[in-house]
Amino acid sequence: MSLRPQKIEFDVVWGCLRQTVDKVLKLNRVERDDWNSSFTDVYTICVAFPEPLADRLYAETKLFLENHVKVQLEEFNCYRTENNDGENGQMMLHKYYSAWKNYSQGLEYLNYLYQYLNQQHIKKQKVSEAEILYGNGTTPLAISQEQMEIGELGLDIWRLFMIQNLGDILVKQILQGIERDRLENNLTSKDIETIHGVINSFVSVQDYKKKGSLHLYETLFEEKLLEASGSYFMSQASKLLQSCSVSQYMQEVIRVLDEENVRAHKFVHMNSVKKLKKECEDRMISDHKAFLYSECKEMVSNDKRDDLRNLYILLKPLQDGLKELIQILLEQIKNEGAESIMNLKGENVHIQFVENMLQVHQKYENLISETFKNDPLFLSALDKACASVINSKLSDGKTTCRSAELVAKYCDNLLKKSKSTESEIESKLSKSITIFKYIEDKDVYQKFYSRMLAKRLIHDQSINMELEEVMINKLKQACGYEFTNKLHRMYTDIGISVDLNNKFNQHLKNLNDELNINLSIKVLQAGAWPLGPQTNISFAVPQEFEQPIRKFESFYNSSFSGRKLTWLHHLCAGELKVSLAKKSYLITMQTYQMAMLLLFENCDSMSCKEVREMLQLSHDNFQKHLQSLIDSKILNLDTEKIEDASIISVNLEFSNKRTKFKITASLQKESPQQEVEQTITQVDEDRKLYLQAAIVRIMKSRKVLKHNALIQEILSQSKVCFAPSIPMIKKCIESLIDKQYIERTANSSDEYSYVA
Amino acid sequence: MKIKVKSWTSVAWWKWIANDENCGICRMAFENCCPDCSFAGDDCPLVWGHCSHVFHMHCICKWLNSQLNQQLCPMCRQTWRFNDR
Ligand SMILES: [Zn+2]
Ligand SMILES: [Zn+2]
Ligand SMILES: [Zn+2]
Repeated sequence: MSLRPQKIEFDVVWGCLRQTVDKVLKLNRVERDDWNSSFTDVYTICVAFPEPLADRLYAETKLFLENHVKVQLEEFNCYRTENNDGENGQMMLHKYYSAWKNYSQGLEYLNYLYQYLNQQHIKKQKVSEAEILYGNGTTPLAISQEQMEIGELGLDIWRLFMIQNLGDILVKQILQGIERDRLENNLTSKDIETIHGVINSFVSVQDYKKKGSLHLYETLFEEKLLEASGSYFMSQASKLLQSCSVSQYMQEVIRVLDEENVRAHKFVHMNSVKKLKKECEDRMISDHKAFLYSECKEMVSNDKRDDLRNLYILLKPLQDGLKELIQILLEQIKNEGAESIMNLKGENVHIQFVENMLQVHQKYENLISETFKNDPLFLSALDKACASVINSKLSDGKTTCRSAELVAKYCDNLLKKSKSTESEIESKLSKSITIFKYIEDKDVYQKFYSRMLAKRLIHDQSINMELEEVMINKLKQACGYEFTNKLHRMYTDIGISVDLNNKFNQHLKNLNDELNINLSIKVLQAGAWPLGPQTNISFAVPQEFEQPIRKFESFYNSSFSGRKLTWLHHLCAGELKVSLAKKSYLITMQTYQMAMLLLFENCDSMSCKEVREMLQLSHDNFQKHLQSLIDSKILNLDTEKIEDASIISVNLEFSNKRTKFKITASLQKESPQQEVEQTITQVDEDRKLYLQAAIVRIMKSRKVLKHNALIQEILSQSKVCFAPSIPMIKKCIESLIDKQYIERTANSSDEYSYVA
Repeated sequence: MKIKVKSWTSVAWWKWIANDENCGICRMAFENCCPDCSFAGDDCPLVWGHCSHVFHMHCICKWLNSQLNQQLCPMCRQTWRFNDR
C-alpha cells in the first residue's frame, strides 16, 4: 500500500469502508484483511489528492451512525405508547441495556478504526479551537460546528436519539425496579446488572466531557431518584412509628440505612450515594428527632447502652444532633457525682470521696468508650461534669470546698499506712491524679500535700521513699515542675540527710570520738518546708543532747560555709530505756518529754514551777507534755490541775505489761480544724504574693497595659494553680500602685504602666 | 528511776547567713534559687564579698562577666573580692 497522497474516487472507497463499519457496529465478524484495508481506507480518504476528503468522510459516517441508531430506536416504538408496568417494563430495560451494551462496544472498535481521522483531522481542529478560545477573540460559530472524535460522536448520537426519546420511560422503569428491590427484595442478579447498566449509560454517554459530564445523569435520573426515595423513606418512617418503640424504631432505621447503603452501591453512581443517605437521614431521623429524644433521659439514667449506641449512630450525622444528648449526659453525671459524695461521714471521708467520685468517673468513661466511640464532645462533657461536682461549694454556704484537702489526705493515707502492695498503692495514686486534675484550687491541694509530706518525712512515717518520689513525679507531670519544686526539695533533703549522718559518723570515727547516744539528724532547707516561722520556741536543751548537737554543728559548719542551723526540737523524738520498779521499758517519746523525764533520773519529786523553769518551756508546751507523761502513769501529780505549786513525782509502782511502747502527745500544735483554717489562710497569702509577682512580671515585659488585658493575662497564667477572684487581683494591683511598682497612666484611668 | 537515752532523732533547718533577705541582683529571696536554676540549696549556692554583700553565685558571676573594665560590687561599687570565710 502506498502512503503517498493519491487521487481517489470517494464513493468507491467509502462503499467498501461502510461495509466494515456496518459489521463492526453490529459486532459481526470482520476478516483481518478487510479490517486492515478499511484502516487504510480511512487514511487514504483523509490524505486524498488534490483535496483531502476527511470532512466528507466525517459527514457520511455521522449519517450512517444516525441511521443505525434510528433503526434501533424503532425497536422500542411499542414501549413508548403502551403501559409498561411490571414484566413488560422489565423487558424494555433488558432490551435497552443489551442494545446499549452492543452499541457502545461496537463504537469502541469503530473509534479505533477511525484512529487516523480522530488524531490527524479532529485533534488538529481541537487545537485551533483552543486557540480561538484562549487566543485573541472568540468565534462561537466555530465551536457550534465542532467535529468530535468518532467514538464521542457515536455517544452523542445515542443520547440525541435514544435517551432523549426513551429516557423518561427508562427512568420510570428503573425507579420501579428499585422500589421492587426495596419492598420485595426479589430482583435477580440479571435484573440488578441491567438496572445498574442502564443508569450507568446516562453517565457513560457523556463521560468524555471534561465539564458537566454528570449533568444528564443528574437532571434525567438523580433528581427523580431522590424524590422517589424521599417519599419511600417517609412512608417507611410513618409505618414504623405506628408499631415501634423508640428502641425498635432505631434498630429499624439503622437496618434501613445499612440496606440503602448496599443498595446505593449496587445501583447508582458514586455521586448519589451521599445524597441518598442524606435523604434517608432527613426523612427517618431529622423529621422524627423529638420522638427519638423522648426516652433519652431514661436511657441515660438506666444505662441502656444498646439504645444509646443506636441513638448516637443516628444522631451523629445530623448537625448539632448530639447537643441535647450530651447535655442530658452531663446533667446525669453531675447528679450522680454529687450524690455519691453527699453526706459523707466518719473517719474515712477522704477515701469515700475519692473512690466514690472515681467510680462515677470510671462508669461514664467506660460508657463513652463503649457507646459513643470516645467522641471528644462526650469526653469533654464528662470533664465538665466532674469538675463542676468536685469544685462545687457545699450547700450550707459557709464551708469552703474540701476536695483539695480530701484528695491530699487520700494520698497521705496511702503513703502512710496502707496495707496494700506497692503496685496497688501506685495504681491508687495514679487514680487520685484523675480526680486531682479536676481540682481548680490546685494550690490548696499543694499546701495540704506538702504539710502532710513534711510530717511523713520528719516522723519517718512514709512506707516507701520510692513511692514518695513516684507521686511527686506524677504531680509534676500534671502541673509542671514549679508546682512540685518544694516537694522535690523536701524529698531530696531526706536523702541528703542520710548521707550527712554517714559522713558525720565517719568523721567521729576518724577522730576516735563517740557519742553516748544513737543520733540521727535531719537537716532541712528552711525555705522548702512548710514549718512556719518557728524560731523562738524556748527550750533548754538537756546536757545529754548538748554535746552531740555541738559536735554535729561543728562538723556541719566545717562542711558548709555561710549556713546557720536552727534546731527544731518540737519535731524531734527519741527512745529512752527507763528502769522503774525493777523492770525496764523502751519508751518512744518526743524531745520535751524526754527532757522532762531526764530531770527525774536522780530525784523523785519536783514542783511544776521548778521543772518548767529548768526546761524553759512555754506554759502551753509544758502543760501538754507533762499531761501526756501523767496520762501514761510514769509521773504522778498531787493535784487535779497542773499548777506551779503542784508536785510531780515518779510513779515508783509503775507497771506496764508491754515493755516497749510509745507516749503520744499530739505531734501537731493545732487541732485538725485549726490546721485546715490555717492552711487556707496561708494559701490566700501565697496567692497574693503569686499574683503580685505575676503582675510585676507581666508589666515589666509589656510596659503599658489596659486593665482588662492585664486581668486576662493574669487569669491565663494562674490557671494551672488556681482561679483567682477578680477583687483579689484588683487588690493586688492597688497594692503594687501603692508600692510604686506600677502606676496609672496619665491619659487613661484603666491603663497601667510599669515603673522602672 | 534509771534512764538511758537509746536513740534520738533530731531535726534542724539551715538558712544562709546573709545581711539581706533577697539577692540584690535578681531580687529573689535567698531561700529560693536564682532565675536560671530550678532548685535552691546546694545547686544554687550563695557567695560573700569582702564588702559584706551576698549574692547568688550564679548572679554575681553573670554580673562580673558583664563588666568590661572593673569588677565592682553592684551594691556598694567597691572592688569585688570573694570572701571565702
Ligand atoms: Zn540572685
Ligand atoms: Zn542559680
Ligand atoms: Zn558590696
